[in-house]
Amino acid sequence: MRGLTNHPHPSPLPLGEGTAKMIPLSLHALTAAALILPGLLQSPAYAADDDEVDFQYSHYQEGKRNLGGVVNDLNAIEVEGLHGGAKVSLTDRIKFAFNYTQDTWGGATPRFNTPVDGANSDIITHKILASASPKYNVFSNKIDANNNILNIIDSDPVDGHSIYAKQDTRWVHTLAVASPETRKQGDFKLSYQWDETALDVGGGISVENDYESRFGNLSLRQDFNQKQASVNLGLSYTNSDTTVALSELDLVYIDSSFYKDQLDDIIDNPSNPFRPKGATLKGNRQDWATTLGITQILNQDALIEASMGYTRSTGYMANPYKAVLIEYIDPLQTPGLSGERTALFRPVLEKRPDLRNQWNWAMRYGQYIQPLDAALHLDYRFNHDDWGVNAHTFEADWGQPVGNGWTITPRVRYYSQSAADFYQPVFVVNQAAPQVSLINVPHDPAKYPANYSSDQRLSGYGALSGGVTVSKQFTKGVSMEAGFEYYSHAGSLKLGGGGEDKFADFNYYVANAALKVNLEALTNHGGIGSDSSDSNHYTHHHDLAPAGVLFSHMLTQADKFMVGYRYMRSSEAGDMLHGTVAVDDARVVNQGCPVDSAGGCRQTATGMTMNMHMLDLMYAPTDWLNLMLMPQFVDMEMTLRPLAGAPPDLDVGHHAGSGGPSSGHTTGGVGDTGMYALFKLFNNPIHHVHLGLGLSAPTGDVGIRVRKLSHQDLGYIHYGMQLGSGTWDFKPSLTYTGQTGAWAWGSQVNGTKRLEDRNSSGYALGDLFQGTAWGSHSLTDWLSVSVRGVYTWQGSINHQYNRERPKGFISDLSSQCLRSDYMYQGDTNGDGEPDGPLILDAPAYQACLAAAAVSVPADNAIAQQKQDSIQRSTPMDQPSNYGGHYVDVGFGLNVNVPYGKFAGHSLKFEWLQPVYTDVNGYQLDRDGALSVNWSYAF
Amino acid sequence: MKTTTSTANLLMLGLGIALTACAPVQPWERGNLAKPQMALDLYPLQSALRAHNYGSREAAAGGNAAQGGGCGCY
Repeated sequence: MRGLTNHPHPSPLPLGEGTAKMIPLSLHALTAAALILPGLLQSPAYAADDDEVDFQYSHYQEGKRNLGGVVNDLNAIEVEGLHGGAKVSLTDRIKFAFNYTQDTWGGATPRFNTPVDGANSDIITHKILASASPKYNVFSNKIDANNNILNIIDSDPVDGHSIYAKQDTRWVHTLAVASPETRKQGDFKLSYQWDETALDVGGGISVENDYESRFGNLSLRQDFNQKQASVNLGLSYTNSDTTVALSELDLVYIDSSFYKDQLDDIIDNPSNPFRPKGATLKGNRQDWATTLGITQILNQDALIEASMGYTRSTGYMANPYKAVLIEYIDPLQTPGLSGERTALFRPVLEKRPDLRNQWNWAMRYGQYIQPLDAALHLDYRFNHDDWGVNAHTFEADWGQPVGNGWTITPRVRYYSQSAADFYQPVFVVNQAAPQVSLINVPHDPAKYPANYSSDQRLSGYGALSGGVTVSKQFTKGVSMEAGFEYYSHAGSLKLGGGGEDKFADFNYYVANAALKVNLEALTNHGGIGSDSSDSNHYTHHHDLAPAGVLFSHMLTQADKFMVGYRYMRSSEAGDMLHGTVAVDDARVVNQGCPVDSAGGCRQTATGMTMNMHMLDLMYAPTDWLNLMLMPQFVDMEMTLRPLAGAPPDLDVGHHAGSGGPSSGHTTGGVGDTGMYALFKLFNNPIHHVHLGLGLSAPTGDVGIRVRKLSHQDLGYIHYGMQLGSGTWDFKPSLTYTGQTGAWAWGSQVNGTKRLEDRNSSGYALGDLFQGTAWGSHSLTDWLSVSVRGVYTWQGSINHQYNRERPKGFISDLSSQCLRSDYMYQGDTNGDGEPDGPLILDAPAYQACLAAAAVSVPADNAIAQQKQDSIQRSTPMDQPSNYGGHYVDVGFGLNVNVPYGKFAGHSLKFEWLQPVYTDVNGYQLDRDGALSVNWSYAF
Repeated sequence: MKTTTSTANLLMLGLGIALTACAPVQPWERGNLAKPQMALDLYPLQSALRAHNYGSREAAAGGNAAQGGGCGCY
């Protein structure tokens, strides 16, 4: 995400008053003198980045869209983001930085617009309430001479012809819901600094299931006048591919004559040549961007940066999930008696130009406010492009230090843009609608606008946002920051008015929390440089356990900290196992799923990968007690295949239509959070024993459901794909380590006991017990190798997902036989005409109830079977197919840096190879697991 | 379009010339400017996140090209 812009960084040793008082005079003089030397002088706006490791978590949450009065029970877009990065100096002049970013998003997003009124309100409810997917079929409605939708309000008393009137002319979004998807990005930057010049070369890649983007950038900075001014020149290139698997339903959007060149892997439909059963939409875009900026110190308290940029983008720039509603009006039709005509409405995929030129001009101003020791920043940016979008951005923030290392920064931002030339909420095409069934109507593409989009991002609107960031600088170079921002998008906020109507308004908030460890400040504060004996002690005595062992060591000195990052990747692939033996598909079909409800398994996994990112924060209040906090971020991916000989689907399942890249699931987000205390039980120069007691808090989501764009809600995802346990868990451990000479060894027993019987989704994961022992040998003073054996037992899942009533479930027999249908008026005076009070025809009513008592349970059972054939159709949906006995052998490599610039750092790797697998029920075989662990104690 | 572009470019050029006329500020007089709160980008991690959010929600990506960020297809 960081490319062209050179992010300045707070100086580790601020030269302002607060710190100046504490620095001895001689040092102050020396520092001031050093500042005059060109090589050490830093331009304030481009302060040299210190060596640093940082982590950030963010949560984006959109508010629910207003659907013109229709009840919206769909979850709005939600994004969980994780970022980790490091900047290190390779030499005095060469710096290297890399970043890893991951977002997982899911929720309901607008697809196209439809009229609130007329026949279409039915569509909104149908789309949104019943199936949660847009209705794709053409619908027709009467319109007036101005193309407004008409409704029948009366009929003519004389000839009976319908009388129409314009009703509600508002538009409303139709939403489509997506189950979670994950994007991963890695990027790097290599910088070389001369005395007054700096050159950065960077690049990276961003990968998601339907979009892959590769980018490279180059930037050059030249300082002038003892760095009073700097000129920055940047160039970047991005190449992105869109690859979207379209289902039969999606393809109804697409008139293949429009997208012929972009469709690939077309699966023909023998019964309808105009509606393929599947295809892949492919597109490529390229962006070249250049920027030129100047930063200038204006006086002792103010600086300014002015920049301009140009971006040229070519290729496929449309969003493959956004459509427009086209109103087809056949000009040859004869208007009705009230002058009304008929229009056909049909959504088609949006179309954007394949060239875009963008220019932007920006100004940033910073003013120091002496009496308050605060800083005011004012930014303005103007964007202009040849799509017709002109945008202004105003931003202001106020950085206010409040003592003890705390800084509070409130911020406000206003953004306004004009609509793109080809944006409209709906488009009119004056010709008969193209074929929708088997009849191909002659159709003239020239009668469409050249480009069309109803994406609200291209509409005219304004956005107001504001937030606050609080940061705290701890001693020893550790700082934390937390931010919150609320953003409101509204047509009425557009500068000068004329924005889009209210239907497109929405809002979101973002919360983020970051932890930064400044490695150079640590050295400056004597964290390691002045205390190498201790870090050696630490390194050599306790850090030889393999990467995969948690709680393997303690900090042995009071008031010490450790920051660590753990990455674990485990994968499953290969045969389906029952116990220890591989079984064929027929066996899985017949026994892997409950036959009574779903009729057997239909699909199974071909692979599953889990990535866990853990932050490992440790503090020693005393030498016998360590406290640990371990937040986690997890993501998972599973691929599926149909089982040979599986029973047919009873309903359109979530795996139906698979075969393309969509035949799988991904999930990701915050996992459970561990809180532990380690107690030293015994310690001498050779042997060490400690006890760990802790709790795992259920911060990971266990209610994730499967929902793909243009399909219905398909129930909970497979148990193993949820992000946490959903229960509070007790996690004790007992660890023994020993060391003599170059040899070290250890063993540990640990367990997980679920403290609750069920989580909010109705089940609980099985308890877990693990025993492990290892030995390691130091090859040099910085490198050691290890071998480890692990035995793991885990119970199967207890209970199951909360059972949900299937669609069409009848809960009340009497609803099938309405008493009012069996009431008749008696004949009291015997004249054969009904004249008495209403009487219940009891025998007929009872007969109806008796019949319902037979038919309703049968119908319910069928509805349940249909649902089960979707929701319980794989072995991974069965609680009994979890857990087992496992034996693994681990091979590890540990790097501990004893001295020099990176003293105190430790980097470990371990590969766990399964050697014995005995699964409960039917499960996919295991492939192995990789653990990587970086830690730093200070 | 052309007028907008060239007017803005002219303004920028004028500004550039004006800036070179600033009075010199000696390096030892830059204590206030070196304060963390005076950095043009006080919270780079958060800025990158915000730029990504704005970029996936607004038409003016603001020179965000080549910084990755993916599709933002939601």
